[in-house]
Amino acid sequence: MATAEAKVPAHPTLAEANRDITRPIAMPEKRFYLVLGVAAAGLALMFGAWFYQIGAGIGVAGITHPVFWGVYITTFVFWVGIAHSGTLISAILYLFRSGWRTTINRTAEAMTIFAVMTAGLFPLIHLGRVWYFYYLMPYPSQRQIWPDFRSPLVMDVFAVSTYLTISALFWYTGLIPDFAILRDRAKGWMYKIYGAFSLGWQGTVSEWRHYRRIYLYMAGIATPLVLSVHSVVSWDFALSIVPGWHSTIFAPYFVAGAIFSGVALVITIMIPLRWAFGLEAYITENHFENMAKLVLLTSLIVGFSYGTEFFLAYYSADPIEIESFRWRALGAYALPFWVMVFCNVVVPQALWFKKVRTSLPALFALTIFVNIGMWYERFVIIVTSLAHEYEPGGWGLYTPSWVEMSILVGSFCWFFFWFLLFSRSLPVISIAEVKEHLAHEHSHAEGGDGGDGHE
Amino acid sequence: MSLLNGSSDGCGGCGCGGTDSGAATPEPEALNGAAANGTGTSRRRFLKVLGTSGAGAATLAACGPPNFGDKLIPSLVEEEGITPGVSETYATVLADAGPEPVAVHAQVRDGRVLGLSPNDRFGGGTSGLSSLTHSTLQDLYDPDRVSQPLQQNPSTEDGAPPFQYANWEDATAALTNAVRVGGAVLLTGRVTGTTGRFIADWARVMGVEHIAWEPFSNQALAGGTADVSGGAGMPRFDLSSADRIACFGADFLGTWLAPTQMSAGFAAARDIEAHHHAKFTFVGPRLSLTGANADEWIEARAGTEGAVALAVAGVVAAARGVALPAGMSAGSPESVADAAGVSADAIRALGEELAAAENAVAVPPGLESQGAAARQAHQAVAALNEVLGAVGTRVFPGGGAPEGTSASFADMQALMGRMRAGQVRTLIVSGCNPVYALPTASGFGEALANVANTVAITPHLDETASACGWVLPCHHALESWCDADLARGAMALGQPLMHPVFDTRQREDLLLDVANAAGQGGAFAGADYATVLRSTWTERLGGHAAWLDALRRGGASAAAWAGDEGADTGEDAAPAGGVDGFAAPQAPSGTQLVVYPTAQFYDGRGANRSWMQEQPDAITKVVWNSWVEMHPDMAESLGVDRGDVVRVESDQGVIEAPVYVYRGIRPDTVAIPLGQGHTEYGRYARNRGVNPLDLLPASADPASGALAYAGTAVTVEATGETARLVVTQGSTDDHDREIVHAMNVEDALHEIEAHEIDLVELVEAAWDSDPNSPYRWGMTIDLNACTGCGACVTSCYSENNIPTVGEEQAALRREMSWMRIHRFEEETEDGGFQTVQQPMLCQHCGDAPCEPVCPVYATYHSPEGLNVQVYNRCVGTRYCANNCPYKVRRFNWFNHDARGRGDGGAFAWPLNLQLNPDITVREVGVMEKCTMCVHRINKAKIDAKEEGRTVRDGEVMTACQASCPSNAITFGNLKDPESEVSRKAKSARGYHALGELGVRPAITYLEDVTHRHMPAGGHGEPAAEGGEAH
Repeated sequence: MATAEAKVPAHPTLAEANRDITRPIAMPEKRFYLVLGVAAAGLALMFGAWFYQIGAGIGVAGITHPVFWGVYITTFVFWVGIAHSGTLISAILYLFRSGWRTTINRTAEAMTIFAVMTAGLFPLIHLGRVWYFYYLMPYPSQRQIWPDFRSPLVMDVFAVSTYLTISALFWYTGLIPDFAILRDRAKGWMYKIYGAFSLGWQGTVSEWRHYRRIYLYMAGIATPLVLSVHSVVSWDFALSIVPGWHSTIFAPYFVAGAIFSGVALVITIMIPLRWAFGLEAYITENHFENMAKLVLLTSLIVGFSYGTEFFLAYYSADPIEIESFRWRALGAYALPFWVMVFCNVVVPQALWFKKVRTSLPALFALTIFVNIGMWYERFVIIVTSLAHEYEPGGWGLYTPSWVEMSILVGSFCWFFFWFLLFSRSLPVISIAEVKEHLAHEHSHAEGGDGGDGHE
Repeated sequence: MSLLNGSSDGCGGCGCGGTDSGAATPEPEALNGAAANGTGTSRRRFLKVLGTSGAGAATLAACGPPNFGDKLIPSLVEEEGITPGVSETYATVLADAGPEPVAVHAQVRDGRVLGLSPNDRFGGGTSGLSSLTHSTLQDLYDPDRVSQPLQQNPSTEDGAPPFQYANWEDATAALTNAVRVGGAVLLTGRVTGTTGRFIADWARVMGVEHIAWEPFSNQALAGGTADVSGGAGMPRFDLSSADRIACFGADFLGTWLAPTQMSAGFAAARDIEAHHHAKFTFVGPRLSLTGANADEWIEARAGTEGAVALAVAGVVAAARGVALPAGMSAGSPESVADAAGVSADAIRALGEELAAAENAVAVPPGLESQGAAARQAHQAVAALNEVLGAVGTRVFPGGGAPEGTSASFADMQALMGRMRAGQVRTLIVSGCNPVYALPTASGFGEALANVANTVAITPHLDETASACGWVLPCHHALESWCDADLARGAMALGQPLMHPVFDTRQREDLLLDVANAAGQGGAFAGADYATVLRSTWTERLGGHAAWLDALRRGGASAAAWAGDEGADTGEDAAPAGGVDGFAAPQAPSGTQLVVYPTAQFYDGRGANRSWMQEQPDAITKVVWNSWVEMHPDMAESLGVDRGDVVRVESDQGVIEAPVYVYRGIRPDTVAIPLGQGHTEYGRYARNRGVNPLDLLPASADPASGALAYAGTAVTVEATGETARLVVTQGSTDDHDREIVHAMNVEDALHEIEAHEIDLVELVEAAWDSDPNSPYRWGMTIDLNACTGCGACVTSCYSENNIPTVGEEQAALRREMSWMRIHRFEEETEDGGFQTVQQPMLCQHCGDAPCEPVCPVYATYHSPEGLNVQVYNRCVGTRYCANNCPYKVRRFNWFNHDARGRGDGGAFAWPLNLQLNPDITVREVGVMEKCTMCVHRINKAKIDAKEEGRTVRDGEVMTACQASCPSNAITFGNLKDPESEVSRKAKSARGYHALGELGVRPAITYLEDVTHRHMPAGGHGEPAAEGGEAH
């Protein structure tokens, strides 16, 4: 692809690419186990807290009247939002033929899947009676009761599970040629596992033709999901009558926010990953700058949405709506609100400067701000709206409990646990795609045919 | 209503009449093991018993489950009138439930009393039940009740328990010996009727001095009224015909004299739908539950209300050209204005308005304003009623229920003096708790230590019983035979309704045993108290049939009981005269302390009932704690806010409690509620809150001997600490939302006459209920009638198995109450505020926001328009509660029974015996809310179907409706245009809370009506409501 030439480093040879990208798989060292151990400990904390909650009752969480949803739903929306980056970068940029996605799409897709897996835990964690979670599924019941498809929560079940399925399939499709490479380099039981996943890939021309087709179709199927899943998640709120939730702006507002936070987390993760795995030749400043531009754009959309919400509250002349937003900015939860504004609107303005966009330490710090800010955004939307609703006699406040905070922290550990396992068992960069570009370049440089990127 | 069958022998009240007395033998273990305990084996056994054996079932239903041993014996002849699983209603009386004896109907099912409702079948009862009365059920099933006789542990080693268990033989012997040594005093609470005479007889025969004492004695009232208007005993107030009411401090809607009766009268006098509304002025230092219902507040200092009343009487007398009662003279309003801290103009205006009214009435001061001139204050109000012409029409001297006490605080001081001097060798305490309820400064505890033999006959190990040598547990009122004098000369009769929960005995039977042991048994009409009572009643009423009829009805009217001295209304007695001159009060210096009883604890007897601890206070909405009420100005000058701890110090002591800032109190006054601060009494009461009696001096009104609750000066300072003060209401400002409305009386009269609005039509839209169903259930709540007393809330707890959650969870706002009463302060034109109390419960919306968001159809709309919650289907997403604009859905954050909480939770044995079998005990993780008592609806529908008709109007009463003393709640079928609820919902005052949301509630609120002027152009315009309908 022509656009890709400037983006992909010209230095490595095909063999070097194979070696560089698969190197982490061959040699897990001590520091890896250390980090994995930390993640596992966090995981244990999360499941310990969750099982304690199941045993003792959901009341060990801080959620209460009138704030019936708190950290759990906040974190659910946060992780669904994170899950957007992968499919966006993979599918949409693929369809737009943005070549710069090549070295980051694998990681971004992995993040998507692990983020959806993380997000998917939270609707379960937050249920009062998690042992009856299957009531939300349309299973054949002798009492002939189906879920209520009018409920946004049922829509959620379908939106999120569809998204998880398609994302996983899309990811796996892209992995098939790489599985073959791993298979060819592996021995013993590893050979069998990679072999099974590679589906007998031989790299023939007809295989490549089919592969390219299906990858394109998958990208086509996945693309609308990027927009739909977070729209549906936003309807969890927008379809209610809660002031501060009931708003038609929510779907685009949430999708923009999701891309904002998702891309920010890709940057946050890619920077240390690149350093740890020595992938500087493949993931360049150029990639980061492009992602930083996307962060800046979505930050502006999100900031505009904040403003729009307040303007519409004022313009509605509905005293309840006005009070709800006044309180959001100035009430008991003013601090989270202003943290949100600072992190999501003020800080990203630094990205107007190329120096910031190309400085990895600055980007790392900035995207952490964005991630904090986006978590707070969901917290502010959920908690402040519920705490200050229609009936003043029923107003009340909410403070998260240690159980909720443990599960929040544990959810990051759960995410990174899977991500670490991924980083040591699968190529974090799509070898096939990289080689495709390298081959193009080599063929241009040498005037010869570099083949299709197969070894 | 089922009637008694068979003879009255044995436990006749249980309906088992002539069954083998073996069934009535106390078997607490059997009760514990067979039915109460929720374990699998005994449950199975219980079901086996129910299913296999008619006899078993019948006996179960009759007297609690006896011990069957290993054999199941079928009954050849089933007990008549008893069906397992069907509630039977019996009449009885709760003689010591609170300020008044209350005639009740009790629902008895499978041998357990499950619920209470008012009984007015014999011309002496009331149409409502207070919270406190309802909560006596929890007194019956109190997990901390004394389960068998206790003897003080002779071992005084560290860690030795203070008591050891004893058997009844030893206990009775100890009581007998204690009486025999001579110099014995029997100290009881209020005793009236046959019980009162029996105890007096017993004391005379046994040579024991009997002292009947109530902490909240109204002797100053009786004395002061009699001085001026004559009549012996308590006066009775009938407010229903009044067109102008002035109250000089009494909390007559909550805790004073006869709250349920007076609430009903008050509501009748202010029934705006009947085109009249008596203006109500409250004179006193703080707006109590009663004061908050007033149209005008004259902020007189505590203890000066009487002086104000006398000045008002002077104005009235002058205006009407009548003389004050002989011996009385009134100063000008100016002469008392300074001392009372109010303007003379306000006093004069009140007098002139009262004089201009045809049917004005004045209500005297209550305990909170009972100072060193208590009797004089009552004389002043009596004089005011005289000049108002209210005596004989609205005030009936001597027409109230006899107080049934003989001792004032001064008498108690004398008793304590004798105890300290060693002149009292035996003290038997029963039915009162002087160690707690007397001011700490009076030193009853130390005096008690000087008495050689101390015996407590009580169901509870309260502060006094804990200090006694012997504790003999006696029956609860619902397990006892008793009777009590009611107002207007009626007499209420009580019968045991269930097998005793514990190994307890009836107090009177114990006393008879002592008499028998002393060879004096012949002096009484029977060997046990049941016989004594029956023979007395049979003789008085003239026959066995009349006695049975009285048992069925729960008492006898004044006419039926005629000739008895207890029924002497005393209205003819001449004034006692000797009216003292009224000294002009001096303006007190410093901060004044007001201590006041609350509707939930009264004199402290409600404190060990979790329903009462979790019942939000009518004004502050505080639960599980004590507080110090203060004006915002004082709070600002002290630099404190709600929840900050202040130190309140008097000459007698110091207490620390958190602040509640309240606009309805004088800036120079602080108020602390009575009833908390127990050191014993049980798990819910112990070490909770503070007892303001620690601050009071042991001083009495010399004229009446009544304890001076008012008139103590205190200093208040901030401590810099903050305490947990659980307030269950978010904001007292409704932010001008369409939630509560108060309208001026003139506007209200105009609107009511001008038009009706049709909110009813609105709720009949197609999706509100199935067009083929004959029913659309709905409710009206008249905010004008609602006083905010909270009776409905407790009633709902009792009916629907609502768990209490404890202070820690309540602090998280996780109380489970399906109904809450919000107190809103509506701003008035003159810068003051009008309190509006609003019961808030599930509105059963026609287009309910909670329904479509539930992913699993756990909440859906019934064909009859009810918003139904299916507990078994609920998975606990809580979205419904988020989407409920009224926030009336309550979520089970835990299992509130033994599964979730180690100590047995909200239903610690035997509290679980009270659980209503018609209602599920909800599990952790499910949502619940008001069902509009759907089980009662279904029962009525089944009854109707059997008779081939539809449910009649009034056939279904929700629990809240049944208990409301002022009939603010009406329930019925909105599809029936003739039903009462349809008629009321058409009132021009009708509106839907948050009606602009379009959720089409089934509950129509009727606007509060006040004589205050509400700001114009507000949301309260009825036309706006009508607009919604069109």
